[in-house]
Amino acid sequence: MSVTRRELFSRLRVGFIPDDGLPLNGLALAARGHEAESAETFRPSAIGEFGAGAQAGSAAPIKLSSNENPMGPGRAVLNAITGRFGETMRYPFNVTPGDAQLIETIAALHKAKPENVALGAGSQELLKVAVWGFTNPARHLVTATPTFENVTGTARRMGHPVVEVKVDGQFRLDLEGMLANARGAGLIFVNNPNNPTGTVHSGATISDFVERVRRISPDTVILIDEAYHEYVTDPAYESAVPLALQTPNVFVARTFSKAYGMAGMRIGYALGMRDTIRPLARLALPFNISVLGTIAAITALNDPAHMAAERDRNTQVRDFTQKALEDLGCRSTVSQTNFLFTNVGRSASAFRSACGAQGIQVGRDFPPFDGSHARISLGTMAEMQRAVAVFRNVLGSAATSGEEHARW
Amino acid sequence: MVTTRRDFVRTVGIGAAGAALSSSWISARGREDRVWSLAEPGLTVQTPSSIIPLSSNENPMGPGRVVLDAITKAFGPAGATPGRYSGATTELRDVLAKSLGVRPDNVILGCGSTQILRTATHVFTARDKALVGTIPTYEECAGYADMLGHPVRAVSLDQNFRADLDALADAARGAGLVFYCNPNNPVATYVGARATKDFIARVNRISPETTILVDEAYFEYVTHPDHESMIPLAIEDPRIVVARTFSKAYGIAGLRLGYAVGHPDALRKMTAWDNATGTSSLNVLSLHAGIAAINQGPGFVDAERARNAAARDFTIKWFADRGMRSTESHANFIFTNIGVPARQFRDGCAAQGVRVGRDFPPFEQGWCRISIGTMDEMQRATAIFGQVLAKAGVIAA
Repeated sequence: MSVTRRELFSRLRVGFIPDDGLPLNGLALAARGHEAESAETFRPSAIGEFGAGAQAGSAAPIKLSSNENPMGPGRAVLNAITGRFGETMRYPFNVTPGDAQLIETIAALHKAKPENVALGAGSQELLKVAVWGFTNPARHLVTATPTFENVTGTARRMGHPVVEVKVDGQFRLDLEGMLANARGAGLIFVNNPNNPTGTVHSGATISDFVERVRRISPDTVILIDEAYHEYVTDPAYESAVPLALQTPNVFVARTFSKAYGMAGMRIGYALGMRDTIRPLARLALPFNISVLGTIAAITALNDPAHMAAERDRNTQVRDFTQKALEDLGCRSTVSQTNFLFTNVGRSASAFRSACGAQGIQVGRDFPPFDGSHARISLGTMAEMQRAVAVFRNVLGSAATSGEEHARW
Repeated sequence: MVTTRRDFVRTVGIGAAGAALSSSWISARGREDRVWSLAEPGLTVQTPSSIIPLSSNENPMGPGRVVLDAITKAFGPAGATPGRYSGATTELRDVLAKSLGVRPDNVILGCGSTQILRTATHVFTARDKALVGTIPTYEECAGYADMLGHPVRAVSLDQNFRADLDALADAARGAGLVFYCNPNNPVATYVGARATKDFIARVNRISPETTILVDEAYFEYVTHPDHESMIPLAIEDPRIVVARTFSKAYGIAGLRLGYAVGHPDALRKMTAWDNATGTSSLNVLSLHAGIAAINQGPGFVDAERARNAAARDFTIKWFADRGMRSTESHANFIFTNIGVPARQFRDGCAAQGVRVGRDFPPFEQGWCRISIGTMDEMQRATAIFGQVLAKAGVIAA
């Protein structure tokens, strides 16, 4: 029986049971592409493939593919986790502090109320339920390309229309282009800073964008994903949280997966006005944060000095790596994150394979720039020193001139 | 904004805000009480050691040292591993498959069995395909179906508080999903494996399109002689899915780990809807805890079953000695005819530091669900039960 993809999607959307034998595996895979997928790809058995070309006796591969914090969450958080071991048998609502206290902590930090906060199993869960809740076959998703693909994949899987707007000449979100497609949209996804290009828009630009969208399409929900917020050093950048707390149909997603060093712990949250947050909170899984995650997140939020140090550490590594790549003739976009988007003068897959063979794992393909740009996550300084040596080998072996590399 | 909310309602099928949520199934707040601490803040200020929590059917002993050591080990040598996205989902799935004697593609993981139950409800029910279950039962599926605007058919229990299989099979005709919780929370009763298999065969026969979700959350606690998992049926037939959890006998409710076992076609439908099922919703420490919990072998669960049975027998006898009957429990909780409204009993106990179960309509006027703690906790709790029930005039002071 032949079923078009569109039919299948629309069946899934309404909970229809698709016929057996449909290529759901392929669809599911096509819908993936989020950072967690990289973990699957690079699980130990798969690392073997990457290591196959490595020299015997070389150190473990350095993973620069998923924009993780190589330092982890820090000792205070780990101690808080082990301090919770006596209560692992309790549900998250039966411990103190529990998930309600995590919500209160987040709210207090942002001068908001608990009703303004929804927790997610990673910000990914909140992105997913936003697509579930705010888009439909008649109300499309507006997103960028390239950007974090999670919302795109979810909408496509549901058969909801998607408009992808290519980033501008400086690899920033093309907000004018997104605005031009905003009318009647269910959801606009604004990743600021943008993964994988690393760029930010200023606070003034974002609030102007929100105001203009609201003028032409007041029912459209705007999701501003600030996953990399803590790493930004550009003084013109401002979080959109204050804006979201006073603007209907706007919410901000944050995560503990990046600067907080807990990608494996799956904790994120959304902030916005009550009526915007409520559907997200209802659609997200109840008790989606473990008791260990709850105490870890509260401990991390209460340690701003640790976060400032992590930002400084990342900035130093970013500056070092960016300069080293520039010295090799490879320009990067203006990164405000813990990764670089760099013109390596060849396909990302060729670069990735060559680096992988020497024990350095870099990011996946990001069309439409997969022919020229690689995303390189930032590890520790020691890791990046080793990585740069490999980049030098790989990039130096190409027969292209530095001048050619230097193009955007 | 109004339009947006309406669109939202249309997209996910949420009924008129609030109205649909008034069904008696979920009027008792649903689930294992998400907002316990918010709704009754007076208790949150007490430290856990000063109260006896008998409200959520947890294993009071916890997961044991082997599992906790696995969590610490998952920090990695430099403490940085929690900063990485984890590929351990594959490992836990493989470990579970091996221990259950099934293939890895017969297993998907969930953030607690909650994610399994919600996903199954989403995929297998629709506006014209009802959810069917007993009343009372665990409320997650009904609450979620209600939120989606999908109809819910509730079937009364028999006189022994067991699922009335004839009535349930009748109600299953044309339904999308039968939620079959065995042992059944909150009433603790268990239907033997032979009767369950007959029931499943009957539903398959009279309503071939209907999926049956067998929730075996309390499977490990069963002491019934005719005790078998429905997993062997599920892996052969996409219309049967078994849900399991680490939240009960394995003692890690706080780590949010559950799984489904079934035919790959059924599981594929679930992951096609919620791609996060089994992947991005699970945290790395929990995954390693789950791996260690299974790898330690059956001895842990055997000991926990015996420990629970002793504390359960003690508690049931305490009530029976005072003229209050309980249903035949095969779980780590009992359902007892206390003779006063559950709320009155609950409030009286809470004032003395003992938390007992929420209301379970239609039995909330005389019956209470009491989770089984340690023997020491049950000895202390029954003393408080005695005081509360004496004050209520149910037993002599």
